[in-house]
Amino acid sequence: MSNPVVEVRGASRVYTEDAVPVHALRDVDLTVQRGEFVSLAGPSGSGKSTLLNVIGGLDRPTSGTVSIDGVCLNDLNDTELADLRLHKIGFVFQSYNLIPVLSARENVEFIMQLQGVGAAERAQRAADILQSLGLETMGDRRPGELSGGQQQRVAVARAIVTEPALLLADEPSANLDSTTTGELLDLLRVLNETRGVTIVAATHDPMVMSYAKRRITLRDGRIENDSTG
Amino acid sequence: MSFALLMRLSLRNILRHRRRNAMLLAAIVVAVGGVTFMNSFIRGFQQDLRDSAVNNLTGHIKVFAPGYRDDPGIERSFYVAGDWRPDVSSGLLEGWAARIRIPAVIMSERETRGVQLVGVDPSQEGISFLGDAFYEGETLADENDKRIFVGQALVDQLDTKVGRRLVIITQGADGRNREAGFRIAGVYDAEGTGLEKAFVFTGRAALQKMLDTREVTEVSIRLTNDGAGSSVRSMLLSYFSGLEVMGWRELEPQIAAMFVFADTAIFIWFAIMMGALVFGLVNSLITAVMERVKEFGMLRAVGMRPGSVIVQVVIESSLLMMSGVALGLVVGWLLCQWMSEGLDLSQWASGVEMVGMRSVVVPRLYGADMMLVAGLSLVLGIVASLYPAWRAVKIKPLEAMRR
Amino acid sequence: MDEALNRPVASLRLNPKFGAVNVLLALGWRNLWRNPRRTWLTASGIAFSVWMLVFSWSMNNGTFGAMIDTAARQFLGHVQIQHPEYLDDPAFDHLINDVSGLVEDASNLPEVEGVAVRAQSTALLSAGERSFGGLVIGVDPQQEAVWSTMPSRIVEGRYLQGAGDLVLGVRLARNLGVGIGDEVVMLGTALKGGVAAAALAVVGILETGQAEMDRTLAQMTLDDFRAGWQLGADQAHALVLLLHRNKDTAAVAGRPWADGVIARPWTELMPEMVQMVELKRSGQGLFFVLIAVIVVFSVINTFMMIIFERTRELGMLRALGMRGGQLQTHLHIEAFWLCILGTSLGLALTGILLALLSVNGLPLPESTRELMMIYQMPERLYPEYSWGATWVAVVSMLIGTQLAVLLPAWRVRRMLPVEALRKED
Repeated sequence: MSNPVVEVRGASRVYTEDAVPVHALRDVDLTVQRGEFVSLAGPSGSGKSTLLNVIGGLDRPTSGTVSIDGVCLNDLNDTELADLRLHKIGFVFQSYNLIPVLSARENVEFIMQLQGVGAAERAQRAADILQSLGLETMGDRRPGELSGGQQQRVAVARAIVTEPALLLADEPSANLDSTTTGELLDLLRVLNETRGVTIVAATHDPMVMSYAKRRITLRDGRIENDSTG
Repeated sequence: MSFALLMRLSLRNILRHRRRNAMLLAAIVVAVGGVTFMNSFIRGFQQDLRDSAVNNLTGHIKVFAPGYRDDPGIERSFYVAGDWRPDVSSGLLEGWAARIRIPAVIMSERETRGVQLVGVDPSQEGISFLGDAFYEGETLADENDKRIFVGQALVDQLDTKVGRRLVIITQGADGRNREAGFRIAGVYDAEGTGLEKAFVFTGRAALQKMLDTREVTEVSIRLTNDGAGSSVRSMLLSYFSGLEVMGWRELEPQIAAMFVFADTAIFIWFAIMMGALVFGLVNSLITAVMERVKEFGMLRAVGMRPGSVIVQVVIESSLLMMSGVALGLVVGWLLCQWMSEGLDLSQWASGVEMVGMRSVVVPRLYGADMMLVAGLSLVLGIVASLYPAWRAVKIKPLEAMRR
Repeated sequence: MDEALNRPVASLRLNPKFGAVNVLLALGWRNLWRNPRRTWLTASGIAFSVWMLVFSWSMNNGTFGAMIDTAARQFLGHVQIQHPEYLDDPAFDHLINDVSGLVEDASNLPEVEGVAVRAQSTALLSAGERSFGGLVIGVDPQQEAVWSTMPSRIVEGRYLQGAGDLVLGVRLARNLGVGIGDEVVMLGTALKGGVAAAALAVVGILETGQAEMDRTLAQMTLDDFRAGWQLGADQAHALVLLLHRNKDTAAVAGRPWADGVIARPWTELMPEMVQMVELKRSGQGLFFVLIAVIVVFSVINTFMMIIFERTRELGMLRALGMRGGQLQTHLHIEAFWLCILGTSLGLALTGILLALLSVNGLPLPESTRELMMIYQMPERLYPEYSWGATWVAVVSMLIGTQLAVLLPAWRVRRMLPVEALRKED
């Protein structure tokens, strides 16, 4: 298994807004190995969200290639991309993370249901993950009845319960206070260190950056700095 | 806040959700267009009813001897001077006819039937269905014509044809039966209606001679405009004192009842159509308000008065309704143009006749009906916007902004 | 490392759909209740159109049934056995023979409530100097008494009892100037052009409410008629059958009868009735189509609002790996639930209303009484539930709501996940 989890080669993304081309990404190369915890930082418009979306198969690069776990995304159609996200990638967003009409447990089970995992296995895995994240008493609550921090933990539980190759987080701490942010980041670090979950998080938050082992800074669509340690 | 500004705000807000409001608009257009179109058929049907009532020898107004309606016979007749004309301005009068109409029995070699024998002056019968009926053979030449003019259905029943002779038995003025042979001049076609079996026509003077009388049993008057009836009636009453003068509504009470029922039907259909529409309209308006909670809160915070909030929502609803109504009326009108040849109901011909219609119904679009639909729709638009407007007023500026 | 991480994507693409549909069903139902007011308003529109069709057709059915019943019981019966040509050409010599055999056949059928043998002819009726054309009918008073409402229409005198009796329609009696006890002479054409004649005393006057009948009808006993019109003892024009249930009409008319006769169901005897109902139904059907279109537009409108409000959530579902098709299915399922809700509501309300009306009936306003008499309608209308209308309404609403989702669903599929997620609320 020598494949890196993420391999971006020469990726550019150009939007055309009011006939003016906007270069969100310019010729970016990035490799993320299994087990890494990477933060993507940079001011608004630096391209960090675009890079995250391109890696997550939500957006396609104008040129260049993106591979996830050895699969080149450029070759996939929309349905195949959806399946790739379903099976290989977990997402945590800043808000609107959970499906409001489903309980925490049902949210966690949702992706497994789309995958077609059997009911017994689904229930078991959901219970296990909720317990290991300290959410066992929250299982029957709907997102509206959970605090912001609890919601994000459920979102993380949902993202990792299917054991994806890659966990993508987009400003995961944006709506949290510093205590809850600390708890969330502790959780991510534990997952990264004990379960070997590969994490890429786009963020403004220095606290998030401080938890990441590898910090990448973007500016004007280019990688400006890439440091480990 | 000025009305013009509120108007502009409302318009912008409608345009903000173009697709959604387009759907609502389409629903209004279907409702208004549909109601207009269907109304025009009800009106066409109503017109048919009146025409058939007035055409089948009734006219708008009729004069009888007292008791004739209960017990028709030549003994209940009256005299009309040869040079008499209804004293009605020629613009109002379409025509008039004096007739003898009595029960009779008609016999062929094979069959016997009871009919109404009608003595007419063919030159006066432009006012009844006789004037434009299709026929084979010849029509009656004049009031001295001794032949008869018979309906197709009766000819079939009697198993006879043009040129043959039929025997007619009826009662003369002296109370004795007259029996005479008549040659068939022509056979008329009244679109298969019951008229064909009911009426046998002959020359009026010829019939008078046979019955030994100079009198007639009815005078029928047809006007150009139904509305002028009452003044003509009083004129006739004073001229023919002692006789009965009746309008078609009294003479054909079933048709008059159907006529009134059709007026009601227009409202019922409108109500049902708008009932279906109002749910979607209220739904849409409430959503438009709830989506803009923040905006309304902000407007209130910067000093918009509650009244203006209501006006804004009502304007929005009215604008949608008005454009829907305008388009709907155009669509209804176009549909009527498209169907101007009439709707062919001949596959249900006898059922159609049973309710007094003709087999081809021609839509009739009246300005007054369109105005009515438009007016009621706008009222509905305003009523439907009251609850959403009330919701909008309830929005507290601070809470709304905090959301 | 974990095995799942090493599985190639391709092998993961076999997506057992059933697990997904389950969760989509639940998701659709619960999403419906995120905005109960909107759901109820939209469902009410659906309910309204279902009500309109099912209610009006059920009232039609009831009225129509009553009209048929009135007409059948008054005179016409449900089925008449006639000479094959009699319906198109009611000539006097189009007779049925062996009537007693037919009567026996018919009486043995379990569906038949009553039978009546009739012979009829047009004739000239005279009293004193007055003469009018009329329809003279020979009937068996015992048979008629069993089921026909005609004997109860007597307004003066009594119904036929035996030889020498004559009853007349009220207008005919007035025209002839006769009352109870007066003699009326009838002249007509018998078989082979012979002269038919009878002179009988009036024993009763009938008022049916139908101008045509009241003006022309004369009834005498069958024996008197056969004597006057020179018919054989086993000859008549019609054997009239009244059935217990109208719905057996086609079966009874369709069974094999003797040679030389034909069984006519009432649908052939009074086609105008069938056509009138068809016409009415077509009108109401067209009306329903218009209302259904309005409702479909309002459902589209509702879903436009839904996808507008849930754009970010839809983007999130897409990001989580839901396929475009699944996203669309999830909207279709929501529409399906909405339709189920609306049609159930509509059918429930219609059911309650019809149940109430079937107890009390819908009284007709005084002003329409005259019309109702003419069309032989009863004074109160009772509904008869229309399963056909239920079926049409439910299926068309199901199809309509699913069509309504197509446009919003297409927009959802076209939505880019990135932009959906980025949308401000």
